[in-house]
Amino acid sequence: MKSKKKIQVFPIVNGLIFIIISLIIIVPIWKILVDSFDLKTAYGMKLWPEEFGLTGYITVFKNPTMYQPLIISFITTICGTAVALILSTFGAYVLIQYDMPGRNFMANMLLFTMIFNGGMIPTYLVLKSLHLTNTLWVVILFPALNVYNLVLMRNFFEGIPASLFESATLDGCSPMQTFIRIVLPMSKAALASIGLMFAVSYWNDYTHYKLYITNSDLYNFQMKLRGMIMGSDSPAVTAGVTENTIKNAAIIIVILPFMILYPFLQKYFVKGVNIGAVKE
Amino acid sequence: MKNNKKQSAAPSANNSRKHLAAKIYKYRGFYLMFLPVFIFAVIFFYLPMLGIRYAFTDYNGIKDPTFTGLANFEKMFSMPNFWSAFTNTLEISIIKLFLTVAVAVVVSIFLNEIANIHFKKVVQTIIYLPHFMSWVVTASVFSLILAPTSQGLVNTFLVEMGVVSADNMIYFLGDTKWWRFAYYLINIWKETGWQTVIFMATLSGINTELYEAASIDGAGRWGKMRYITFPALANTILTVLILNLAKVMNLFESAFVLQNDAVLGTANVLETYIYYQTFNSGAIPNYGYTTAVGLFKSIIGCVLVLFCNWLSKKVRDGRGIV
Repeated sequence: MKSKKKIQVFPIVNGLIFIIISLIIIVPIWKILVDSFDLKTAYGMKLWPEEFGLTGYITVFKNPTMYQPLIISFITTICGTAVALILSTFGAYVLIQYDMPGRNFMANMLLFTMIFNGGMIPTYLVLKSLHLTNTLWVVILFPALNVYNLVLMRNFFEGIPASLFESATLDGCSPMQTFIRIVLPMSKAALASIGLMFAVSYWNDYTHYKLYITNSDLYNFQMKLRGMIMGSDSPAVTAGVTENTIKNAAIIIVILPFMILYPFLQKYFVKGVNIGAVKE
Repeated sequence: MKNNKKQSAAPSANNSRKHLAAKIYKYRGFYLMFLPVFIFAVIFFYLPMLGIRYAFTDYNGIKDPTFTGLANFEKMFSMPNFWSAFTNTLEISIIKLFLTVAVAVVVSIFLNEIANIHFKKVVQTIIYLPHFMSWVVTASVFSLILAPTSQGLVNTFLVEMGVVSADNMIYFLGDTKWWRFAYYLINIWKETGWQTVIFMATLSGINTELYEAASIDGAGRWGKMRYITFPALANTILTVLILNLAKVMNLFESAFVLQNDAVLGTANVLETYIYYQTFNSGAIPNYGYTTAVGLFKSIIGCVLVLFCNWLSKKVRDGRGIV
């Protein structure tokens, strides 16, 4: 009897705990969303806008110094993800050629960068001497070679049956043809998972901008938002809207594209983590 | 494992050289495909390694570097700010690591007990979410919510509850007493959910017969959680700890975006120390000195990675982390 009663109580308590945990996650984001629509400044504990208005958003989209960083975020995310996927798939495809002379040297050359690096300042000095600082090249190209993601991609590729490669070679396919006709179609899930990981990290990039870009015309939206929150870059306040409302609207704008896509993409992210954990 | 595909060695040296040349010719397309990766690796990883020589020089970017031997390291070890940044790095990283993993393990074990699959999916979707928000967004959200004004959610709540008075609100992110506490909580908020992914994957692999057998033996829910679910996670916990221990020296962005001048004594870590010394010191940057600090950081990081790799091979049947 006693144990039966326990079984009935536990799921309710457990469910309640997880409702509370979910609320702890949601409330801060909800609060920002609400305040971005609230034209009254005294937000306090309200979880619903007191005076509803879209002025915060309109201000962002009307002001070139606000929407230009957003455009830069989009451009660098798209270009960066494309370059990163090319490097990861090319590198991973070469690393599964175990019979190729020099293959181990190539693998070790990449893996060594995971153990040791030059550090923040020598990297900065090299990029500066190559005239890459204060260009969008640096924020597109530098994060594109990610050895960890390349190894993940290699793990995916290793699951492709060797017989497919053999028959492709017998049919006279060049490495590039085999890559396009067999490797890429066989690893759509991997391309989605790793591509999304790259896209999120490009969209969210702040460190590379902070270190290598001082020209505010080249800032992405993360840099712009940071400047606004720190008060070093006050948003242009127009009539009927406060600075905080604009800040809240900016936060919502920068997370919105991801929030919309996220429920559909979640499985690819989870897949990426699990393949990495299982096979590494 | 795949190496045994290698063909047997050719009989004579001349022959083997021809054989090698033929092989290289056969793989020419692959070398071409590796070329861009090679160029990226050289520019972004190997050229900066050459820059480590500045650690032994006096260099400000204008005049040519002059060799000064170990002077930069002597200066570094005599700087109290360097030592506090070093100990802060280790303390903050390691406490953060153990806290987030511990919370993630507990959350995973209880998440595993949810019978309603739809409710479980909704909860998972929600708790994974903050992982994908950038540190800038996270810091922005919390600097608004934790603001010590009537606009801040948390302080207004505390005033309402009578915990603090309206003119004595807590400046969580600007008070040395509160900063680390807030930092750990924000990290738990952001990363715990995502950490459960890997634990949930392990739990989904547990043979359900184990639970049935335990039920027959009279084990209750707690018994099963304690004696089946938790031990099943032990290996994964160890793996996650080892993987992350290798990265403790890399702490930068999360600390950087949440700190400010008022809390630097307790919040400054090595990477942010290097950053401020180089770009925010107000004087002509001393690249030699900050390269030396970076080299010290890299060497400690390298030792940690190799140690964790050794540890990983020891406890995970020969599987390393690099």
